[in-house]
Amino acid sequence: MVKFLKPGKAVVVLQGRYAGRKAVIVRNFDDGTRDRPYGHCLVAGIKKYPAKVIKKDSAKKTAKKSRVKAFVKLVNYRHLMPTRYTLDVTAAKEAKKRLEERFKTGKNRWFFTKLRF
Amino acid sequence: MVAAKKTKKTHESINNRLALVMKSGKYTLGYKTVLKTLRNSKVVLSGKLVIIANNCPPLRKSEIEYYAMLAKVGVHHYNGNNVDLGTACGKYYRVCCLSIIDPGDSDIIKSMPGGDH
Repeated sequence: MVKFLKPGKAVVVLQGRYAGRKAVIVRNFDDGTRDRPYGHCLVAGIKKYPAKVIKKDSAKKTAKKSRVKAFVKLVNYRHLMPTRYTLDVTAAKEAKKRLEERFKTGKNRWFFTKLRF
Repeated sequence: MVAAKKTKKTHESINNRLALVMKSGKYTLGYKTVLKTLRNSKVVLSGKLVIIANNCPPLRKSEIEYYAMLAKVGVHHYNGNNVDLGTACGKYYRVCCLSIIDPGDSDIIKSMPGGDH
């Protein structure tokens, strides 16, 4: 039995306003806290995925399309679907900046594609 | 995934082992608790083997298998439906999936090397 809900794990949020969005676990609270007596974690996710960029786009348009809107939320484990992917982003306060940087470097491509359902 | 055709003999031995676990070990029955044990990282409470009935809805079956793959826990596809699995557990209700936390005196985990992934 391996612990897999660790910081850096990519998950898909299943419930709530951000249902269907991909997120990264930033911090775990396995035993919960007094306010939330259940296992939950802090996730940083994508509120708005970056749009598809085509070769025709001007530099200004590319910059505009590559923007990532992020959210940070405490989510119950029950409302997450863990995936086999990981993303080495463990910042909550600068989530937006970090995620945008990540996207621009072209790493973790799966994470920044919209989950189609 | 082609599982070898279960002979009568091995099927009965699984039932025997399950009965022993019911008597001497710790287990949980049911989809929600199975996921809970798979997520859990505490050694005491974490799942070690997951058994799924053969008429489990395919989406649920794949979800449990995926969690088990992440947690590196064996999955065993029971040769019978949820009614049979419930009877094998000695219960008067249907059991679609169960998780063995502590095998007690049984050697069910050792004799199911990695399960039928």
